[in-house]
This record gives sequence, structure tokens and C-alpha cells, in this order.
Amino acid sequence: MAEEQINGVIITFFSTASAVGKTLISINMASELAREGYSVCLADFDLQFGDIRNYLRLNPEYTITDLCDRIKADSGSSLMPMLTTYAYEGVAFQVIPNPNKLEEAYNLSPEAIIDVLKNLRMQYDYIIVDTTSMFSVLNLALLDISTIVTFLGIVDFIPTIKNMKIGNETLRTLNYDSNKIRLVLNRSDSKTHIQLKDVVSILGEDFYHILHNDFISASESIASGIPLVLNGQDSELTQELRALVARYTNKGYQTTGTQKKNSWLSKIFS
Amino acid sequence: MINNNVMLVEGNRLYLEQLSNIIRETETVTLVARFRDAKDALGQGMVFTPNIILLDADNPNIMSLLEEFHRVYPHADIICTGEKWSAESSSLYVNAGAKCFLVKPFSSEELLDAIFAFSKPAAGGKEAKVMTFFSPKGKSGKTTLIANLAMAISRKTNASVGIIDADLQFGDMAFFFNLKPQSTIVEAARDTDFLSPVSLNSYFVPVAKNVSILCGTKEPSLIDKVSIHSLETIINMARTMFQYVLIDVPAGFNPTSIAAAEMSDTTYIVTMLNGSGFEVQHIQRSMDIFTTWPDYKKRVKIILTRVEPCTITAKQQMEELIGYPVVGIIPNAYLDVATAADDGRMALDLKPNSPLSQRINYLAGRITKEKQDNDDDF
Repeated sequence: MAEEQINGVIITFFSTASAVGKTLISINMASELAREGYSVCLADFDLQFGDIRNYLRLNPEYTITDLCDRIKADSGSSLMPMLTTYAYEGVAFQVIPNPNKLEEAYNLSPEAIIDVLKNLRMQYDYIIVDTTSMFSVLNLALLDISTIVTFLGIVDFIPTIKNMKIGNETLRTLNYDSNKIRLVLNRSDSKTHIQLKDVVSILGEDFYHILHNDFISASESIASGIPLVLNGQDSELTQELRALVARYTNKGYQTTGTQKKNSWLSKIFS
Repeated sequence: MINNNVMLVEGNRLYLEQLSNIIRETETVTLVARFRDAKDALGQGMVFTPNIILLDADNPNIMSLLEEFHRVYPHADIICTGEKWSAESSSLYVNAGAKCFLVKPFSSEELLDAIFAFSKPAAGGKEAKVMTFFSPKGKSGKTTLIANLAMAISRKTNASVGIIDADLQFGDMAFFFNLKPQSTIVEAARDTDFLSPVSLNSYFVPVAKNVSILCGTKEPSLIDKVSIHSLETIINMARTMFQYVLIDVPAGFNPTSIAAAEMSDTTYIVTMLNGSGFEVQHIQRSMDIFTTWPDYKKRVKIILTRVEPCTITAKQQMEELIGYPVVGIIPNAYLDVATAADDGRMALDLKPNSPLSQRINYLAGRITKEKQDNDDDF
């Protein structure tokens, strides 16, 4: 009997408000999984204005455009040699960069992109996908194929929360298993007039995980091009990111930091 | 009190009866005469001293008729009626002296709108200046910008300003003005085949003396209900209804944002500086597309939001980085804007002398004066 094919886990980061941190968190999730020894592919499917290549200072030889061309020519070909490697101090993962030219982005077919993912998920433990903030044909297909969808939100002002609510309700109409969609709150204590508990009651749902606002660490990481979980500075945000990854991998990563976080959480939701 | 004495000229026998009944049922107007033959109306109608003439535009000689009616009834308002509105024919009628165009059969409300509310078409039949606000990525500050800019333009010039929220999945304009609209762009798009500028007017929600909004979709799935063709028709009608039309579109290049930009006199690329420095790349990538327009230098302009410090030096630095002129910079007023938006007000009304309001007023001044040069002042 032929060898059983194992499909890796696809984790998609989605939101209905922009600038909520999808790129930063997906990069850190890929980095942390790679640091723990998993084989990881990070896909930038914000095709028009993706920032993963900017953030990680990549100079890719091939992009998703080339991968789509290849898969259309031969659905069985190995795509791994066409990915771009990011490596920092012994930790490495592969990246599918967004197209070099914007007009390429506009003309890519969602079917081909999904075929690329179907091909690559047989090669990787984890594929992390960064998206745009809308219900496009591509994003709906990505939500379908994903193992886990991280629906990322922030609490800043009411229009954002309105869009989060509408987005969450729309996601529910798609009838995914409830544990497939995970509501994660980013920058939880940024300057705002709005209370977290009000947001929870508007959404009618608790957050699966909460990440704190750490503007300084985040902007330093962007400025240096080094993911937070790899830069050796053990900030609170880094620990929360690791805790999120641990929950996704069922490893129960525990540090004093996360324990402290749990008690903070229970206080919030008591 | 002014009498609204209506003379109906309608070639179709069935419409003649139907429209007569509607006019008779409409309060404050009187049907003083009705004719099937336009020549009769021209020769006999003046004994009834009409001051409003409803003229059948489905008559093949409509253009010469308009001229004659205008000569015979120099003081009457002529409203053309027809089975379907089209941008081309409608502007021909208006240029030939008609006041506006009404799709038949019309309702009493639409007739009254045509007579009263629609009494101030864009000055001298001139079409509106249409502006699309494009942003590469979301969270650009453009909804705040559009809302405040519209108010500033109308305050400065007394001009009529229309906002179209075509950010079809997550438009926030209604929220910024604290509106719970009965009709939105979805209903307007559904009805475009039966609408004229006069009747489309009722889909816009007034928010200030001369500012009204066609609100966006209420949920993301409704995006499919607004076809590009109907959006284009709405923009074409809006062009004849207002002096300035400001269009909010979804982030990035998509059929909606491209259609709106192509129909606009000016497209503003609006980007928020969030500190990553990647915005410059996003603007440059966008410019790669816009520079395929032969007249892009005239039609494409850049506005940066959340610029701190908001100084002429900052503006010049950004121009150098981007390699293209920046027409406006807007300071960071996050808390003001958030507070205003949370309350359904706009920042401009909150603090009229704040740096934010000042920069927006300055931009409004540039738009209304239509200055051509880009770097004469700050």
C-alpha cells in the first residue's frame, strides 16, 4: 500500500478591520513554530499590498505568481524549491511572498492559489496564511481550506467593533465548527474609551486569547526586521505570542508569565 | 404664495391619464392643462398660464420642442419626463433649458422633489467635481477625511455636496454621522433602471444644510447586490445632482475602486502613516497602476493622514521618499476622531480650531479653488 499522505495544519489570520496586527502575529507564529522545530511555510496572501516581504527584508526570486504558473503547468510538481527562506540564528522557515507587481496580484486566480496550498500542505507541518480584511472570493476559499481561522480584532473605536461584529456574524453564517474559528484580541489595553467587557457582550462571544498592547516592542521588531519571538528579548507580548502558539499546538507551554496572564484573564472575565 | 400651475404634455394616452391623476392628487400643485399633442400645447397652453411644464421626452422631436417651449414659455420650469434616465440624453435636455428629468410614472413625492427640493441643480447645468478616495490598505483615515472634507467644502462655498459610501463591505460613513438609513446604496443600485437624479435624491440622507450621503451596505454579503454598472449609473446621476461628489471605496484595487476612480475627476490616494515605513512602498505600488493613465498627473493626488509632526518639512520629506507631490497632510488626532466617531459626530464639529480641522479646511480650499500647482504653499 502506498505511503499515507499527511496534510499539515493550515492556520489563517483573518480580520474585518485593517491594521489589527495580522502580519505581525502571523510572522511570529511562523517563527515560533519553526523555533520549536516544526517545518513551517508562511504565505502572504495580501496579494496587492502584503508586507511580509517588507517586514522580513526578503528579496524573493519567486513569488506566488510563479507558484501558480507552475501548479497550472504541472499539479504534481514540487514547489518547495521555489519558496523563499527566512533564517535568523539557526531558525528557518519558508515564505510564499506576494507578487512583485500589483497587476499580477489583480490577475491571480483563487483556484490556483488554493491548489498551491493543497500541494504544499503535504510538505509542511504548518502553513500560516496572512490575508486582507474583506470577504473576497480568495479569502472565503482560504477560510474553507484552513484548519484554524484566527479571527483577529482590536478594540479601538466603535466603527472597528461594528465591523468585527459584522465579520464574526458573517463567519458564523458560513457554518464552520465553532472551534475552527478562534477570536483573538490584539493590543488589548491600547488607548480607548471602550471597555473590553462591552466588546465581549457586543460580540456575544469570549476571546480565545488576548495579546497586550506593546507598541514599543512591536515597532522595534518591525524596524529591525526580526520577529519578536526570535529577537531574544522576552517581553510580555513575546510570552503571550508563545502561549498562543502553545495552545494551537496543544503543548501547554507554561511560564510564570502565562500563569500571570491567566489570572489577569480570569479577573477580566469573572 | 406662488401657484404651481402644471401643464402636462404627454403623447401616450395611458400615461396622460395616469400622470394626470397623480398630479391632481398632489397637494400644492394644480393641473391647469393637459395635451397629447405638443403643437397644441405650444399654441393653446398659454391661456392657462402654466409655470411648470411636464414635457414628454419620449417624443422624437424633443430637442426642437424644448427650444420652442422655452421660447413660448420663458418663465416656466420645464421638467422632462421619460421612461428611462440616461446620462447623455438627460444632460442634453438640461443644456437645452430643461430643469431636470423625471422617470414616469412618478410619485407625488418625486414630483414635489422635482419642483421644490431639486430647485438648485449644479450651477448653470455644470457637472459636479467627482472625487474618489482610494487607499491601498484599510485603516487609512479616509472615512474621517471624507466626512469632514464634505462639511468643510459646503461650509466654505455653500455648494451642494454628495457623499457616496461605496466601501461595499465595511463602509462606516453612516456610523460617522450616526445614521440609521432607510435606503442605502443597495436599494439605489437595485432601482437604478427606474431612477432619475430627482428620485435618486431621496436615497441620499441629508446630514447638514447642503451635505447628504448615500450610505453603504449593511452587511458584507450585500456587495453582490451592487453591480459595477449600477454604481456607474449612480455616480453619473450624482454628477448632475451635486456640485461636489466624494466617493469612499474599498481598500486596494478592485472592480469598485477602479470603476469609481476612472469616473472621477480626481482620485486621492489616502494613506495613514503608521510608523512601519511600508506605506511609501504601498503608495508607489499604487502609483505604478495609476501612471498608466495618460493624464495621471492631473487626476491622481496623494493625501497622508496621521502625519506627526504635521509640518511642511514632513510633507517635503514624504514627497521626496514617494517621488510624487503630496497635496495634503492631516495630523494625528486619534482620540478626537475616535471620540467623535463613537458619538456619531465628526471631529471638525468637535474642535473647529484644532490642527486637524485647519488642515482639512485648507484642503477644502484647494479643492474648491481648483488650484493647479501642487507646491505653492503648505
